Amino acid sequence: MSQTFLLEPDIIAATENVMPDLNNDLVLAKNFLKQQSAATGDTLYDHLVDIVHKILSQQPPDVVDNFEQYSWAVKQEKFRPNFDLLNDVYLSPPQLSLVRRVDEMFRLVASKAQKADEMGEEEQELDLEEDNFKPRIADMIDNNFYFRECGFGLPDSECYAVYISLNMLAIKEPVSTVRFFGKIFGTKANYYVAETDLTIEELDRRIREFELKDMPGEGEGLDEARAQEAEEQKEIMGEGEEKDEKPKEPVPPKLPPEPVSTWQPPAPIPVERPGQGVNKKVFWVCNNPGQQWICLPDVTPDQIRVARLTVRCMTGDLDAEVQTFPPFEGTERNYLRAQIARIQASTSVSPQGFFTFGSGEEEEDIDLEEGGGDLDFNPNPFYQGHALKDLLDPNLTYWVHHGRHILKQGRTLWWNPNAGMEEGVEEEEDEGPPPVEPESGPPLFTSLSEDARVEGLSAWSVRTSSTLVPDRALAVLRSNLWPGAVAFATAGKKSECMYIGWGLKYQPPNFSPLQLPRPQDEYVVGPEVMEMADPTFADEEAYRIAHLPPPPPPELPGEGEVFGEEEEMED
Amino acid sequence: MNVHKLWEYKEYINVNGMMFNSELISLLQNSLTLLQVENHFTHIQYWGQIYAVDFDYHIAVGITNDAVADRKYFYTTDFKFWGLLPKPKKKYKQLSLLTIFPFRGDTSLKIKVLDESLEENNPDRCRFMKEECRLAATISNICDEAEICARGQLIKQPDGTVVINPNFYGLTRPEASFLKSYLHIRPAQQRWNTNLLTRQDYNYSMDFLDSIDQDIPNGCWNLSLEQSGSIAYLKNLYWPGMMFFHKIKTPDAGFLYVGNGYKNLDVPFLL
Repeated sequence: MSQTFLLEPDIIAATENVMPDLNNDLVLAKNFLKQQSAATGDTLYDHLVDIVHKILSQQPPDVVDNFEQYSWAVKQEKFRPNFDLLNDVYLSPPQLSLVRRVDEMFRLVASKAQKADEMGEEEQELDLEEDNFKPRIADMIDNNFYFRECGFGLPDSECYAVYISLNMLAIKEPVSTVRFFGKIFGTKANYYVAETDLTIEELDRRIREFELKDMPGEGEGLDEARAQEAEEQKEIMGEGEEKDEKPKEPVPPKLPPEPVSTWQPPAPIPVERPGQGVNKKVFWVCNNPGQQWICLPDVTPDQIRVARLTVRCMTGDLDAEVQTFPPFEGTERNYLRAQIARIQASTSVSPQGFFTFGSGEEEEDIDLEEGGGDLDFNPNPFYQGHALKDLLDPNLTYWVHHGRHILKQGRTLWWNPNAGMEEGVEEEEDEGPPPVEPESGPPLFTSLSEDARVEGLSAWSVRTSSTLVPDRALAVLRSNLWPGAVAFATAGKKSECMYIGWGLKYQPPNFSPLQLPRPQDEYVVGPEVMEMADPTFADEEAYRIAHLPPPPPPELPGEGEVFGEEEEMED
Repeated sequence: MNVHKLWEYKEYINVNGMMFNSELISLLQNSLTLLQVENHFTHIQYWGQIYAVDFDYHIAVGITNDAVADRKYFYTTDFKFWGLLPKPKKKYKQLSLLTIFPFRGDTSLKIKVLDESLEENNPDRCRFMKEECRLAATISNICDEAEICARGQLIKQPDGTVVINPNFYGLTRPEASFLKSYLHIRPAQQRWNTNLLTRQDYNYSMDFLDSIDQDIPNGCWNLSLEQSGSIAYLKNLYWPGMMFFHKIKTPDAGFLYVGNGYKNLDVPFLL
């Protein structure tokens, strides 16, 4: 077979002849393509070779439509710096730091499981010992499966990691029950929130600590502060008097005493003790599964009050400053705790009868009226589930709240602000403040049909998870008030709720910040401080004429007058 | 979000806790593929969900030629009948921001909107709007402010049409951690050279859209890299429920809106 084209040296030799020739044209064209660009030193020839090579080796579809893209990609690749020069530098994958943390957690949980295994065997021999208490961890993977069926939930990978880290929490910290509360987004990092009950010993310890810290201190501290203020006031007054006694220096004009504020702060609403009311559960947060769980401090009524008046995004940093009006006491960890308390109070829902007062194991006579506010409740062992039709009823009569309603005071149990005073000031009965109407919220296990509506929208939307297969459908409840809060219930015995969102309440039409209070009057309004029109010239003239010295008696001769006037002029 | 890839995206999509369940994906794929064939769309995308009182609306987008100018929006409540949404009018776009009533789930419903900024006797103070128009206007508002794509996902061809780039290989990790790498899917509002020349490595075919780092206030887009930095999520604070995800170094990217269709006007207080 004969060669169609000549080899290059032959061609060059052939170009000696000037006759028009195919080979000659080819050489000219090739030379043109091989011209180096002044800017980059590249040639079109090489570029085309690269493109053709790339296209043939990768064989992408429809190259002709995207040829420009391709050409661009080839050029870009050429300018990539060659990192192979630093052969020894190993760039670890970005997952490394995360994997290290998770690995530590896995080791811990695995070692515990192994230990439990060994212990279990021994214990069977010893026949039960009470002190080795095992915390109860809600089966999050199972629940997540149901949430996923309903169209909510966490991705499987995330769910598993969180579940393991809940296990870690149960091992490391003194808790008796652990439950996944939800996830709260932040601008820089997100929070995973675990809801726990403490063990009895730990709870006792915290209650003791709480009583030591709060109970005796409050009243005295305030009194002292007030006494000190009064003393200072006296000193100031005293100083003023002393100065009056020593009139050696020019006497400064006597100032009226500084006005003293007569406002007294309302008595602080006492915090609910650990294990009670809004502080019944203890919450732990972490930014990533595998990180150390951090215990959130107990929430105070004032924090709840302020949190209700403001909106703010979490940042993901527990020590971030919270700048709000009215001022918020504490950092983001307190704010987060207050939001969690609010969310938990309004979005903990379950089908009717899922929880019951007391232990539920035997029929107990419980007086709902008496202690309905702070009674313990437990899963009802006799709960049989409801028909799906009932659960899907848009009136929601089969769903009840199991979160305690937080009163305006910021407590779940109403605290009487006058209780202390009535004891102390019994003699002056008529001066005591009028009795306060006790606030009361809906009792525990109130039906969701009683919930307030938001702008024509009921607080909850109920949906079924499946329209095609009603047999395996679930009822799913979505909160409109706290977007992100969901709950599901099967026709069987399962139900759970969860919150994944920004921690913001839906407030139509939008948030309006609290108005500043009106400035107070500084002085009593009287003629001294009132604004008046300046006297006009006519007024002054009238005044002058009215106050002229009395006309001279007519007996005196005119000379005397003239002398007098002259003397005055000279002065 | 590409309808034909929903099964692959199932594990990545998470909008405020909302995830796809298998039934939703199956229903969507079936009915949307049929819709695509009926209307001869080259691409069909699932746009999202708008919560209503009685039924939730599901929204889909069909694309014929131009990926920015030639988008058609469809809605359904039952996956059987997909209705074409009317062109959003400017008047309704403004009114839909004013109303605070929830969507009902019935497109023929007429709602009254009270514009409290106008005087008592102004005839425009109280106006009527059909829910269908409101839905179209709300979606259009969201599109203008929060529909985004990764840089390179859409390219402008030499003839001026915008197409979905079939050779998009994804952003690299450093690129993905900058807001500048994400672009609004809307006709550009900035000058063309602003979008082009604020980049070192500009490219005429990619940088013809506005990037989201110019949105006001700074911080209304929340970018987070999750699953040990392999997925970038973007959430918008103005439209809570708008979520964009991109799996780094893969062509997988898409946005989804799941929410009640209200603009959150409290953003300045949140940051």
